[in-house]
Amino acid sequence: METVYYIILVPMVYAAFGIFVLGTAYKLVRTFRSPKHPSTLRIYPERKPRWLWALHDTFLLPTVRRHNPVHWVFLMAFHIAFLLVILGHIELFAEIPLLQVIPHQVFIGKGFVGLVLSVALLFFLFRRFHSPYRELSVPEDYYLLILLFLTVLFGSEMDWARRWYEYGGMMVGDYRDYLTSLVQLQPDIAFVSYGGHSFMLVLHVFFANLFLMVFPFSKIMHSFFSLAMNRLRR
Amino acid sequence: MDENTRNELLKLFEKKLTHAMRLYLETCSRCGICTEACHVYASMGGVNHIAAHRAEIVRRIYKRYFKGQGKALPWMGESKELDDKGLQELYDAAYSCTGCRRCVVYCPYGIDTQLIMSVAKLLLVGAGAEPDVLTMLADMSVAKGGSLDTFREGFLEGIRNLEKDVVEKWKSEAGETPIPVDKKGADLLYVALAGAHSIVPAAAVFNAAGENWTLSFFEAVNFGAFVGDPTKTKLIMDRIVNEAKRLEVKEVCICECGTAFRVMKQLSGRQPFQVSSLTEVHARYLREGRIRLDKSKIRGRVTYHDPCQIARNAGVIDEPRYILSHLTGDFLDMTEDARYNWCCGGGGGLVALGDETHDFRMKSARVKADQVRETGAAILATACENCHSQLGDLNERYEMGVEVRFLSSMVADALAA
Repeated sequence: METVYYIILVPMVYAAFGIFVLGTAYKLVRTFRSPKHPSTLRIYPERKPRWLWALHDTFLLPTVRRHNPVHWVFLMAFHIAFLLVILGHIELFAEIPLLQVIPHQVFIGKGFVGLVLSVALLFFLFRRFHSPYRELSVPEDYYLLILLFLTVLFGSEMDWARRWYEYGGMMVGDYRDYLTSLVQLQPDIAFVSYGGHSFMLVLHVFFANLFLMVFPFSKIMHSFFSLAMNRLRR
Repeated sequence: MDENTRNELLKLFEKKLTHAMRLYLETCSRCGICTEACHVYASMGGVNHIAAHRAEIVRRIYKRYFKGQGKALPWMGESKELDDKGLQELYDAAYSCTGCRRCVVYCPYGIDTQLIMSVAKLLLVGAGAEPDVLTMLADMSVAKGGSLDTFREGFLEGIRNLEKDVVEKWKSEAGETPIPVDKKGADLLYVALAGAHSIVPAAAVFNAAGENWTLSFFEAVNFGAFVGDPTKTKLIMDRIVNEAKRLEVKEVCICECGTAFRVMKQLSGRQPFQVSSLTEVHARYLREGRIRLDKSKIRGRVTYHDPCQIARNAGVIDEPRYILSHLTGDFLDMTEDARYNWCCGGGGGLVALGDETHDFRMKSARVKADQVRETGAAILATACENCHSQLGDLNERYEMGVEVRFLSSMVADALAA
C-alpha cells in the first residue's frame, strides 16, 4: 500500500504536472501559430474598446446570463470558487502575504468553497441527463465532470473535517511540508502518509493528477482559449 | 469512400485549420446555451438543428483525424470516420444552416457555426456531393469573368433597354446617360444583380444624387461563397476587384445582396477603393443633402428585416433605420437589439436551391413570420435579394399580409423633386 501511496503522491504528481505544462504549451503553440483567418469574424454592432468587451464576455458570461440565468448562477459560482481553490492551493505551498490582504485561515472559504464547487458540479452533471443537453453531450463531458467532482469531493472532505468536525490529525503545515518537498525535488511523503486522512489525500491527489493529465487534451482548454475566442467575436 | 478520396478530403480539411477554426473546434463545452439561437430549432425543434450539434458533426471528424484524443480514445469524444454516411451528415448539417451567425451571439465563447459549416461545405465540394445547382451557377459566374467580350454587346443592349425605364419613371433625375457602363474615372462602381429591379431604382437614386457612377459588367452575387468553394469565391470576387481597378473608381457599391457585400467587404483585402453597401450609400446621400425623400409616398407602418450578412455580420445597422426615418413616420423595429433579429431562413444558398428547399425554408422560418406579424406592419422592407425572395414566400405561406419591398426601391420611389 505504501508503494501505491508513493507512486500517486510523487512520480504521478511530477508526471501529471509535466504532461499538463508540456501538453498545454503544445496546444497553445499549435493553435496560435496556425494561419490567421483571412477575414473578420466580428459580430456587429461593434463596441469599443474591443479588448475590454472581450474580457467582459469571457469573465462575466453575459450571453449565458441573458439566455439561461440559472445556469449562469451556477457557472459563475463554480468559476469563482475554482479561482479561490487555486489561490487556496497556492497558499499550501507557502505563506503569501499578498493573499492575506483579507486575513483568513488556509484553506480560504471556511469549507464553503468546496461545497459550492461540489454542488455546481452535480448541477452540471445532472443537467446533462436532460434533453437536449443529453443528446449534445459526449462521454468526455460526463467523465470530466465526474473526475472534477471526485477531485473536489476528496479535497474538500479534508477541509471540511478540519473546519467543521475539528479534525486535527493532518493539518495545513503537513500539506505544506509535503508540497515543499516536491518543489525542492526531495520528495518526502512522511508528513501526509499517516492517519485516516492520508487515504483522502491520496485519492484527491490521484484524481487531481488525472485531471491535470487530461487537461490539455480536453475542452477544459477553454480556460486558455476563451479570451482569444471572445476577442474574435468583438 | 476509398482511402485516396478520404486523404484528399482530409487535406482540404487541414487547409481550413486557421487559428480561429482550431479554437472553435477545440473548445465547445456543449453547454447548450445556443439551443434557442437557431431559427430552425426555434421553428421546428430537433436536436440536429441546435448549433452545437451541427458543429459537432464536423468536430467529430476533426477529433478523429487531427486530435490525439480522437485517435487514442475515439469513444471519449464520439469521434467519427469520414465516410459516405459522414458526408450525408455533413450535407444535412451544412444545408440546413443559413450561416446567419445568430448562434455566435449566444455562445459564451462566440463559436462561429457558419465558419465550421464552411468545412462541411468544402468537404462536400471535394467529394462532388455539393448541390449541383450552386456549383453550376458559380461556374457560370467564373466563366463570365473569363470571357467578357462574348457577352459584352448583349449586356449593353439590355442596359439600353433598361435606360428607357429609368427615363420614363424618373425624368428629371435620369440625365444624359441614365445607366453609364464601363466609365473610366467614375467615382463609384455599382455592382448589381441580374434584373431590372436591382439596376433601375439604384440608377435613379445615383442620378438624383449627382453621383459620378458606372455600372459593373458583373453581377454581385457570389455563388462560390454559397457553395463553400474558396477558389471560386475568390475568382468571382476578383472579377469585380479587377474591373474596379481598371476603371480607377474610388468606391465599389454592392447592391442589396448580403453575401456579395460581406464577401467583397471582408475578403477583398486592402484595395485602392472602399467597399460600401447600397444602403450605406443612400444614407450618405441623405446625410449630405444630395437627395431628399417625400414621406407621403409611403403609406402604412413599416418594419425592417436586417439581412444577417449585412447587419449582424457586417455592421450596416443604423443606416437603414436612418433612411427609414426619412421615408416614414411609422417605423417599428422587430427587435430592440438588431443582433437578435431572426434570420429569414433563406441564406447559405437555400433560396438559390429553389423548390428543392422550399418546404424546409417555410417550416424553418416560422419564427420569422411571427416576428414580422407582431409588428403589425403593412410594409416589410429589406436590403437583400435572398431575404426578399424568402420573405415573399413566407408572406404567401403564413399570410403575413405585408408588402415585401427592397429598401432601395422605396428610396427611389420616394425621391422628392
